[in-house]
Amino acid sequence: MSSSDPETVLSIRNLGIERAPGFFVVIEELDLAASETIVLDAVSGAGKSTALGLIAGALPLVDLPDTRHAIAGVPVTPETPRAAFAGPDKLGFVLQTNTLVPYLSLVENIELPVRVAGQEPDAEWQDHLIRAMGLGDYKARKPGQLSVGQRQRVSVARALLGQPALLLLDEPVSALDPANVAEVEGLIVHLAAEAGSAVVLASHQAQTGEFANTPRADHRLLDHQGQSYSIFSTAGRAAARVA
Amino acid sequence: MKIPTKLALRELRHDWQSALCFVAALAGVLGPLLIILALKNGIIGTMVGRLIEDPSNREILAIGAGQHDAAFFAALGARQDVGFIVPATRSINTSANAVRNEAQRKLERAVPLIPSAAGDPLVEGEAVAPGRVWVSDKLAQDLAVAAGDTLDMIIGREVDGQRENARRDMTVIGVLPAEIWPRPAIFLSVPDLLAVERFRDDLSATPGNWTDPVAEPESYASYRLYARSLEDIGTLSAYLSEQGLQSRPRAENAALLLSFRRNLNILFTAIAALAMFGFWAAMSANLRGMVERQRVIFSLFSMLTMPDRQRCVIPVVQSLTLVLGGVVATLIIILPFLLAINASFETAPGESIARLYPGDILATLGLGAVTAVTAAVWAVFAVRNVEPQEVLTHA
Repeated sequence: MSSSDPETVLSIRNLGIERAPGFFVVIEELDLAASETIVLDAVSGAGKSTALGLIAGALPLVDLPDTRHAIAGVPVTPETPRAAFAGPDKLGFVLQTNTLVPYLSLVENIELPVRVAGQEPDAEWQDHLIRAMGLGDYKARKPGQLSVGQRQRVSVARALLGQPALLLLDEPVSALDPANVAEVEGLIVHLAAEAGSAVVLASHQAQTGEFANTPRADHRLLDHQGQSYSIFSTAGRAAARVA
Repeated sequence: MKIPTKLALRELRHDWQSALCFVAALAGVLGPLLIILALKNGIIGTMVGRLIEDPSNREILAIGAGQHDAAFFAALGARQDVGFIVPATRSINTSANAVRNEAQRKLERAVPLIPSAAGDPLVEGEAVAPGRVWVSDKLAQDLAVAAGDTLDMIIGREVDGQRENARRDMTVIGVLPAEIWPRPAIFLSVPDLLAVERFRDDLSATPGNWTDPVAEPESYASYRLYARSLEDIGTLSAYLSEQGLQSRPRAENAALLLSFRRNLNILFTAIAALAMFGFWAAMSANLRGMVERQRVIFSLFSMLTMPDRQRCVIPVVQSLTLVLGGVVATLIIILPFLLAINASFETAPGESIARLYPGDILATLGLGAVTAVTAAVWAVFAVRNVEPQEVLTHA
């Protein structure tokens, strides 16, 4: 698969950030086609969330040679407006702490990215997402009136409503009790497949459950000339097709 | 801008207690200001305005008799600071010995005669003409006359110790209100006044021919002069003084009045400016604090591709809403208060102790809008500096 492949959803070469003085997080190579899934599995503090931020085009970069970054065929550069590569049909992001807007209802939170993009939500798909997530009885509730697990599901529904080409998941089940983990992971896999989204999951607890057999990106730590590098790469490794 | 406006309003509703506190704070600043303004407009403004608007206060009185020729009157008439000028005779000849209403058998003695002409600031209506006069309200009541009635003016003189009277019928064409001229008086044309002077001074004038037209005199002994405005009295008095003529303003305290009004406006503007600056600073800090409290949410909006300009609309809309709420709350509180003040004190018809004009309310809203928008600038800059990565860091 190459970045010119029409099915290519994510194509990255040499994308990096200095997360702390002398500590760099770098994505050396990451290619993902539609409906493929890859897991960024590394110890806490290795920069998994930072790597997702890099993929999302939300972090300031350090200069590296031959940097390339494209989401759904749209080059991601500091000059590119976020709406061009991070609109709801291109990028969905489930944040680790499922940040929701406290003064909007559950439904309004789910619709927000689509509304911000000036689009109307697909009502049928939205209903399906809400029902599948078991949120049908809580549509009018504010985030403060929801449990942690429900807020996490709202975050997933919000990320998927636009049927994004790429879904980024940052420890989506870390705040859940073990009984809910398998269910939520199963829903994510199932709904992402329905949406046709490629998935990048950052997790340190994916050894079991739905993502246990999903391919991992290589991760290595490198110390060079007094600097530390946490490097993620999928070079030579195939991602899993979840559809 | 529908989405950011909705988000701004929803956030205010969600955090309604903070919003209510701020609206109350604004009402606390604005309420006393508007009450002071209403009192300034009402009792103080009416009092000062009445004195300023009264044309009598613009009159400059000639002291002593002089010799004022046609050139003098032409020069005065051409000046921008002159509101009205008409020649007058010596003061000794400016009264009728008696005025009588034959129909009602009423008579008044020693009635002052005041020269008038078109443009007289005291006369609103048809100008006087030979045989056609205005009378003051007091004289009209004393003689029981009204517009359209006829008066018999009697001018007396002594010739070789013999009393001799001349009479003339005068048609009343209007009655001057008491607030314009509270004393008995007849406002008549200059030819009529000259005829009175001629009958008293010139023995060739007889009771039979004293009102016949004669040539205009080469000069007049006096004049009735009004400045165009109170502000013009100073320059006009100075001009007369330069001409070697003594005069004095009827309202000696005109300058004081003007100064009082000016100082009152300056004082109010200073108080309002100080209060509004304090409010502006509080508003600015409040909005900036709001951005800080909502920093993660603003970052989320950015992550969700909301453009900067839309995110920046949020504090501006909130600022405008809070100020509008503050103005409305203030009006709801103070308008009944002003009505109660006005009901508690008796005033002349059409006047009130405290008064707010629609223009004042519009100006308050306009000033409030400007305050709201400018106070939001700090918050807008803060919003622009919130990066999408912050929601990741927070996470």
